[in-house]
Amino acid sequence: MDIFIQSAAHISIQNPLCEDWFENPIPHTEGYNRSIEPDYKPFINPIAARRMGKLIKRAIATSVSAIQSADLEQVDAIITGTGLGCIENTEKFLSAMVNEGEQFLQPTFFMQSTHNTISSQIALHQKCNGYNCTYSHRGTSFESGLSDALQQMLLGRINNALVGGHDEMTPDYYNMLGKIGYWKQGEISEQTLKRSNTKGSFAGETSVALVVGTTHTQHSLCKLRDVDLLYKPSSESLKQAVERMLQQANLHVSDINAVMLGTSGDCDFDETYKRFAQTNFPNTPTLWYKHLFGESFTAAAFSVYAAATCLSKKHVPQHLVYNTPKPLEQPHNILIYNHFQNINHSLILLSQC
Amino acid sequence: MEELITELKKEIIDVLNLEGMTPDDIDSDAPMFGDEGLALDSIDALELIVLLEKNYGIKLANAAAGKEVFKSVRTMAEYVSKNRTK
Amino acid sequence: MADKLVVTGMGIISGLGVGKNDTLQALLAEKSSVGTITHLQTTHTDIPVAEVRMTDDEMKSALDIPQNQLVTRTPLMAMVAAKEAIQQAQLQKQKPKRIAFINGTTVGGMEKSELFYRDFLDNEQHKEFIAAHDCGAGTDAVADYFGIFDVTTTISTACSSAINALIIGANLIKTGKVDAAVVGGTECLSKFHLNGFNTLMILDREPCKPFSKNHVGLNLGEGAAYLVLETASAAQERGVQALCELNGYANFCDAFHQTATSPNGQGPFLAMQGALADSNLQPSDIDYISCHGTGTGNNDTTEGIAITRVFGEHIPDFSSTKAFTGHTTSAAGSVEAVISILALQNNFVPANLNFTEKMDEVDIVPVTKTKHKEIQHVMNNSFGFGGNDSSCIFSKIK
Repeated sequence: MDIFIQSAAHISIQNPLCEDWFENPIPHTEGYNRSIEPDYKPFINPIAARRMGKLIKRAIATSVSAIQSADLEQVDAIITGTGLGCIENTEKFLSAMVNEGEQFLQPTFFMQSTHNTISSQIALHQKCNGYNCTYSHRGTSFESGLSDALQQMLLGRINNALVGGHDEMTPDYYNMLGKIGYWKQGEISEQTLKRSNTKGSFAGETSVALVVGTTHTQHSLCKLRDVDLLYKPSSESLKQAVERMLQQANLHVSDINAVMLGTSGDCDFDETYKRFAQTNFPNTPTLWYKHLFGESFTAAAFSVYAAATCLSKKHVPQHLVYNTPKPLEQPHNILIYNHFQNINHSLILLSQC
Repeated sequence: MEELITELKKEIIDVLNLEGMTPDDIDSDAPMFGDEGLALDSIDALELIVLLEKNYGIKLANAAAGKEVFKSVRTMAEYVSKNRTK
Repeated sequence: MADKLVVTGMGIISGLGVGKNDTLQALLAEKSSVGTITHLQTTHTDIPVAEVRMTDDEMKSALDIPQNQLVTRTPLMAMVAAKEAIQQAQLQKQKPKRIAFINGTTVGGMEKSELFYRDFLDNEQHKEFIAAHDCGAGTDAVADYFGIFDVTTTISTACSSAINALIIGANLIKTGKVDAAVVGGTECLSKFHLNGFNTLMILDREPCKPFSKNHVGLNLGEGAAYLVLETASAAQERGVQALCELNGYANFCDAFHQTATSPNGQGPFLAMQGALADSNLQPSDIDYISCHGTGTGNNDTTEGIAITRVFGEHIPDFSSTKAFTGHTTSAAGSVEAVISILALQNNFVPANLNFTEKMDEVDIVPVTKTKHKEIQHVMNNSFGFGGNDSSCIFSKIK
C-alpha cells in the first residue's frame, strides 16, 4: 500500500503559511525566537478565539490550511505531537497557584493546559468525531504521531489523517531550559552552528500540520514510506534499522539521494549525526533544517515538511545542504534521521510520488 | 447600582477575554448565557464564580447556583450589592 | 485469519494496594480506598482522594533504586506496576525481539515542578527537576529501569491516555513494528490537577457516587497499571500463558466541548459501538461494562445515555469502580483494564459503591453488590477531557 503526504502548512520563525523559506529564508541571529504570527481572522472567529492561546490558534490555522490544500472537507483522524502541550496556560495556572495560593484560580487556564487541548480544539473546530490522539514524548512527539497514522492506514483503520507537531516556547520555559544547557550564548549564524564546539542550539517554535492519506492525488507532495522509532539504539541496531527500512522499501543505500539530519549546532548531539552519516551513508549528501526553524521539542516536523517540499518541487535549495561528499542529484528518496539527546531516535523514509 | 454594573462589565470583559468589547457593548438587561446576548457557556460561569469570590468575597456553593445570579449583568450587580463581603 | 492479540501480563498499584491480589481482595471485600489526603501538600484537606499508600522512598526501596536517585512519583508508580506485568509475562527471561513501552500520562513531573517552580525561574536550585517535567521524561525513566525496550512513546489524552496507549501498542504489534508491547498509564496526585479539577467544581467533598441521583462529582486518585500485549502465537512460542484476548478497541472524539460531553453522548456512543464492531461482537455478547463512571453529572448521564443507545433494552451489568480507586486520570484506562480482566478471570462484576437512587435523566441501574457470574466478554470505557473517548473489549480465551 502506498501512503502519501498530501499537503503541509507551517507557522514558524519563517514567514508563516507559505513557502517563502524555500527561496528566501529569514536568517536568525538571536538565541530566542518566537513564531511570526499570521492573521488568524480567516481561520477562527473572535468568540472562539477568546480562550485560545497562541499555540491553539497556530494549530488551527495550520490544520485548516493543510486540510484545504489536500482538498478535503474532513479527515479520518486528528493526531498531534507536542513536547510541552499548552505550556503558556500551564504556566499561568501554575504561577497563580504558586504565587497566590490555592484559591481564586481560573478554570480556563487549567482546561486549556492539558496536552490534548490542541487535538481536541482542532476536532471541535472541524467537528471531527474521528480518531483523536496526542503524543507527548519529548523530541519524538511528532514522529510518534506520524507513526500512529501510518500504522492505522496500513491496518485499514483510517484512510487519511491530519498529523501535527505543535510547540510554543514561552520566555520562562526558554530560561528554564537554558539552565540545563539547551541554548547557546551569543549571536547565532549558520556558520556558528555548523562549526560549533559548544553545547546547545537556538530556540524556535513549531507548528506544522500535514495531511497524509492512502490515495494519490494531483496535490500529493511525496510518498511516506516508513517511520521507525528507536529507544537508545546501539550504533549497530540503528544500522540494522536503516537496512531493514531500505530493504522493505526495495531500495539500496545508493538510491537515497540525500539524508536529512537534525543537526542543530549542539556539539555532542551533532557528533551522533556525523557518525550516523559516516556509518550508513558515507557517500550521500546530507541536509539540515534546524538552522532555519530553530530547536523545539517537535522541530522534527520541519524535517518532514522540508524534505516533502523538496521532493514535491524535485529540487533541494542550496541553503538546506549541509555536506556534499558527492554532488546532489534530483532527489527521489530522502531518509530523515533525528534524535533527541541521544535517547529517542527516529527514521523516516520519503520518496517522490 | 449603575457604577457597580459598569465595574462588573469591565471585570467580565477582562476575565473572559472578550477582545475588542467595551462596557457599552454589553446590554445590562440582556441574558448573558444561552444563544442571545453574550452567549456565554458553562466555563464562563465558572470564571464568573471565581470573579465573585475574588473581588467581592461571595462564595457560591456550586455551578448551578450561578444560573439565577448570572441571568444578566443587572441581576449579577443586584446579587453583589446584597451579598458582598468586600 | 489474523493472529489474535492476547494479554500475557498485568500489574497495578493504586489506593487499593500493590498488585493484582491486593486489588482483587479489595474489590471482593467492597473496600474503598477513598479517604483523607496525607501525602499531597495542599490546603484543600477537605477534599477526599484515593492515595497510593507507599511513599516515594518506600517505592524506591521496593524497586532497589538508590534513595538519592532522582525519580518522580509518577514513574515510580509506573515501575512498581510494570514490574509485576513484566514478570508475569516473563519478558526479561524470554525477551521478544522488539518490545515497545507505550505510556499514558498527563501530569508528568508536575508534582515536583509545582514545588520547585520559583527555583526553576529564579535560581539554580533543583534545576535537575526541569528535565523531569515533561511527560516523556517519566516514560523514559521507566524504560531505563527495565532496559528491555526498543521503542518508547507517551500518550497524553487526559483521562483516556491509558486506553489509547493500549490501542497504539496493539496497532504496532499488528503491523509487525514490534513483537510485544507494555501498555498502560500512570499518574500521581498533584496540587496542579487537584486545583484544576476544583476550579471546574466537579470534586465531591464526600466519597463519589457514580450513576447515583445524588452524585455531585468525582474523587481524584493516583495509580499506575500496565498490560503486556503480544500475539497469541508469540506467547505460545515463548511458552507464556495468555490471560485473555484483547478482542477489539476504538477511539473517537466527541468534538463538542473542551470539558463537557455532548448531551447524547456521541463520542462515548461511537467508542463503544466501534469497539464492538472491531471485535465482531454483538451488544448482547457483552457480559459486563466497566464504565468510566466518574460521578460527575455530565459524565454519568451522557455515558448512561450512550449505553442505552448502544445496548437498547438489554443493558448488560455495568459498574464504575471509581468509588474504589478514585479517578486515577491518565492511569484510569489501564487500572480499570486490570480490574476488567480480574472480573473476567474470576467471574464477578465489581460493585458500584455508594449508589442510592437511579438518576432522573436515564433509566439505568448499576450493579451495586459484587455479583458472581460467568463472564466471557468485558467492555472497558475511558473518556477524557477534550472528548477523547475510547473503549476496548477483553474476552476469555476459547
